[in-house]
Formats: sequence, C-alpha cells, structure tokens
Amino acid sequence: MLEPVELKDFFIVFFSGAMVIMAGALYALLFAWSRLQSKPWMMVLAYASYGILFISVLVLGSAAHLHGFWWWLVITMLVGYLLAPHGIWNLCVATHASSVAPEADEKDLEPGSNQPINKTIKEESV
Amino acid sequence: MKLDHLNGGQQLAVKYYTVAISLFVAQIIFGLLSGMQYLYPELLFGMLDFNVTRTVHINAMVVWLLYGFIGSVYWLLEEESETEIVGLKLGQLAFWVLTSAVAVVVLVFLLVQSGPGDDFTRWFVNEGREYIEAPRWADIGIVICMLVFFYNVAATFSKGKWSGISGVLTLDLVALAGIYLAGMFYTPNISVDQYWWWWVIHLWVEATWEVLVGCLMAWGLMKVLKVDRKIVTTWLYIEVALMFGSGILGLGHHYFWIGTPEYWLTIGGFFSALEPIPLVAMVVHAVYDAGARHMKGNNNPALAWLIAHAFGNFFGAGVWGFMHTLPQINLYTHGTQWSASHGHLAFFGAYATIVIAMIYIAVPYMRGQKGLGSNLPDGGWKWKWSLGLLNMGVVGMTVALLISGYEQSFIERAVGGSTWYGYFSAQTHPWFIQGMEWRMIFGLITSVGIVLLVWDLLTIGKGRVAQEREQTQAVA
Repeated sequence: MLEPVELKDFFIVFFSGAMVIMAGALYALLFAWSRLQSKPWMMVLAYASYGILFISVLVLGSAAHLHGFWWWLVITMLVGYLLAPHGIWNLCVATHASSVAPEADEKDLEPGSNQPINKTIKEESV
Repeated sequence: MKLDHLNGGQQLAVKYYTVAISLFVAQIIFGLLSGMQYLYPELLFGMLDFNVTRTVHINAMVVWLLYGFIGSVYWLLEEESETEIVGLKLGQLAFWVLTSAVAVVVLVFLLVQSGPGDDFTRWFVNEGREYIEAPRWADIGIVICMLVFFYNVAATFSKGKWSGISGVLTLDLVALAGIYLAGMFYTPNISVDQYWWWWVIHLWVEATWEVLVGCLMAWGLMKVLKVDRKIVTTWLYIEVALMFGSGILGLGHHYFWIGTPEYWLTIGGFFSALEPIPLVAMVVHAVYDAGARHMKGNNNPALAWLIAHAFGNFFGAGVWGFMHTLPQINLYTHGTQWSASHGHLAFFGAYATIVIAMIYIAVPYMRGQKGLGSNLPDGGWKWKWSLGLLNMGVVGMTVALLISGYEQSFIERAVGGSTWYGYFSAQTHPWFIQGMEWRMIFGLITSVGIVLLVWDLLTIGKGRVAQEREQTQAVA
C-alpha cells in the first residue's frame, strides 16, 4: 500500500513539495492581483504559476509513488488549488460589497469587471 | 508605569504580557544552551543536561505563548463585551497561582534532573510526556486556572455583549481546556499513550490555537487597519471551517509510526496534504484587503508583526510542513532535525509573531497614546531592528536545521536504516555539525533581537509623550 520514496528521489520530493505550495501561493497572489487591478496579462502569469503547480504535483506524485488510492490525493490537490482562489475571491467580493460599500454598483465589485476594486472603494469613501 | 487609566482586564493583561516576555527570554536562553550542547556535548554535563535545557526551552515556549494568548484575550475582553470583567479578582488570583506553579515546576525541572519512573515522579517532578512535562499537580492547577479564565470570558460576554469573535473565542476555550485533559492520564501501552498525547499537541497547535489566533488576528485587524467588523467576522467563520476541515484529521500525520492501524497512513497523508490549501487560499483575501485598505495603519510595529505572522504562518506551517508530511517521505524525516526546522519556523511564524503584535497594540494604550505611527522620536529603529533580527535569526536557524535534518534523514534513516550506527554516523557527519554551527550563529542573532525587543517594549513612545507635553505647554 505504501511505497517509500527512493534515496535518489529525496531532493525531488522535498523540492516539488515546496514548489506545490509556493506555486500555489503565487497563483493565488497573481490571480487576486489581476482581478483587483483589472490587468488581464497578470492572469496569464497566474495560470502559468498554476501550470508550475500542476507539474510539481505530478512530479511529487511520481517520486512519492502516489499510485492507486493515493492518486485521488493528486487529483484533489490539482482541483483544490485551482478552484480555491476562485471561491475565496467570490467570498471577498460578497463580504466587502455588503459591508464596505453597500451602495456601490454591484457590477463594479464583480470578478472580471473593468473597474478596479480599490478604485471603487476609494471613490466610495470620497 | 501607572496603569490606572486602563480597565481591569487590561491591567491584568499587562501582568500576563510581562510574564510572557520573561518566559520568551528564558526560552531563548535555554535554546542557546541546548544548541551549544549539540556542539559541545560536555558543556554542563551532569549539572544541566541537554534533556533538561531542551525541556525548559520547549515548555517555556508553550507557556509564554499561552500567557500571551490569555493576556491578549483579557486585553480585549472588556472592550469587546462592553462591560466590566465578572470575576476580575478571581482572574488575578488565578494569574498568581499559575505563575507560582510555573516557577515551581521550572525550579523542580532544574533541581531534580533524574529519579525513578514511579507515581511520585509523575505527580511531583516530571510527567515524562514531551512538551507537556509538567507534573500532575501542576496539570490540575493549570486546568483550574484555565477554567477560571474560561469562566471570566464566558460570564463577561454573557453579562455584556456577544459578537461573532466572542462566540468563536468562547467555544474555542472549551476545546482548549478540554483537550488538555487528554494528556493527563497514564497508560502503560506506549501506543495508546502517544495516541492521546498527540490530541493535546496537535489539536492544540493545529486547531484550537489556530482558531484563538484567528480571533486575535480579527480583533487586531479591526484595531490596526480599521477593517470592518462584519468582514473579519465572516472570515473568521470561514477560517474556522477550513482549519477544522483539514486540521482535525491532519492529526493522522502524527499517527504514522506509533503503532496505530495502517489506515492512519492514508487519513493522515490525505488531510495533511490538504492543510496548506486554506493558507494558500487566504493569500487571495490578504491581497484583496491590502488593495482595499492600502495597508494604512495607526500602529506600525503591530502592523509589521501582523504581516510577519501572515508570512511566517504560510512558510512555517505551509511550505515547511508540506515538504515532509506525506508518509512516503515522512518515514525518513519524522523526529529528525527536519521536524525541529519546521517547528522553529511554524511556532515563531504562526504564534510568537501574533502575540508580539498584540503586545505592540497594547503598548501605546499603556502609555496613554493613540498609536505608534512613523513619528517616533528615534525613528523606531529599535522595533525595526528587533523585527529584522528576530525574523532573520529564526529563518536562519530554520534553514540550518533543514540542512542538518536533510543529512540526518539521508544518512541515519535511509542509508543507516535507523540503527545506532546510522545515528552516530549522521550525528558526526560534517554537514550535520556545520548545520548546528550555523544554527548557533543565527540563535545568537535571535537573542540580540529579543534584547532589542524588550528594550523597545520598555521604551517605545516614551520620548514622544515628553515631546507632546512640551508642545502642549508651548501652545498654552
């Protein structure tokens, strides 16, 4: 059921494991920044980071022998890291829209809107 | 320092903060001694052995963080509940009882370093459980003090006003006190004993402490960045759901090698691997709020330490934890300096930083000021340097321990097969020793940081009070 990592793959496991989290954070950071500043080119970088995460997960899965049941862990990580920033972004929009600027135009706070979020909030406060 | 202008809870909090920082200093002193004993094993041999210095180092950390948490809760209690604390005198009595108990326990650790493993030892000297070595009488005292603390919090909120933060906080304190009981009984079966012992260690650290810190962070963000209460409360609920969702069964990564059934390998590996997802997802929230608020606060040191908390938690718990959490690799890393590397960064990043931030939030109120902005008389060099040195010191120790841990898992575990020969080969290998030397260097940098931190906490903003007074007199 459990096949330990081979000696030659130690570094690969540590490095790919670290890259999963680092690339995941970079993806989340660029994703949020792109939406916040309405800069679509940054979204390309965000998905490029997810691409690094994708490769890192597959490398980790191969080096750590994540076969059989463990394959579900690989799938869960790939789907979880992909969707989590989307979910959290939607929650951010919903919570801020209802409390910070209740009178703001909902369209301005929706993901993908051309209006930067911080600009909307600044204008509202003025 | 006169504290008459503070409310009762805040005056009590100052006492807790004072002991917390004193124990933080003790933790670093005993950490330095332990580190030196790795390099010079004969140092204080027979007088103050490594097992004792390490015990005091780790227990001081657990206790100073608890003092910091309790102090922080007392600091916010009256303001959050909008009423006076119900049992303030009881709270003060509990503080002195707890502090006396801690002092006696440490003295006994230092004075009685060896003895028989019998009931007397367990009740009055050392319970023998790593990280929670306090003898049984002290355990009972700690539980009573925690119950007093819980009573004060629950009764004060009941008498005053409940909020989302107070509700989560009160329920969390039930779990905090309740889970401690799991480490208070003895079984001769080491697997069963370890099974319950991990409930205290893991569920405290990766569940109840995380939630408590979430409450403090929520309150701290309202104070420092003026974030809307509704937003921080909503996010607190989400954080609790995410943390508990992956953190409770993440407990399984401690059950890999203690003789528990094989299914724990799957449960522990699976949920541990999912534990960083909430941390990564929270990056989105941090970016969103930073964009909305432009990070303008009224207390620069507190804000800096809150940011250090966010990064430290992410790297210490997230990156360093995930690198060796799967059982396929944990087989080789478990209990080596890898764990110490992860532990140093995670405890400092996730907990020490937030307690320091909470103390910095309290300091200007203690001195009768509104905040600690950029107009400090000395430019705030002490808090900036202590922040830099403490973070650099801990990160440096983490990397040095990582190198030693990598070598240890490679030579002792994988090549040496966890034999005595493998153990000594790893311990005497140049990479291991060099890692320990660098750990010592960065430990010294950390200790310079704590000296500056204490100095700063005792003096920050003092000159400004005199300046403001002179300006007022000049205007008059």
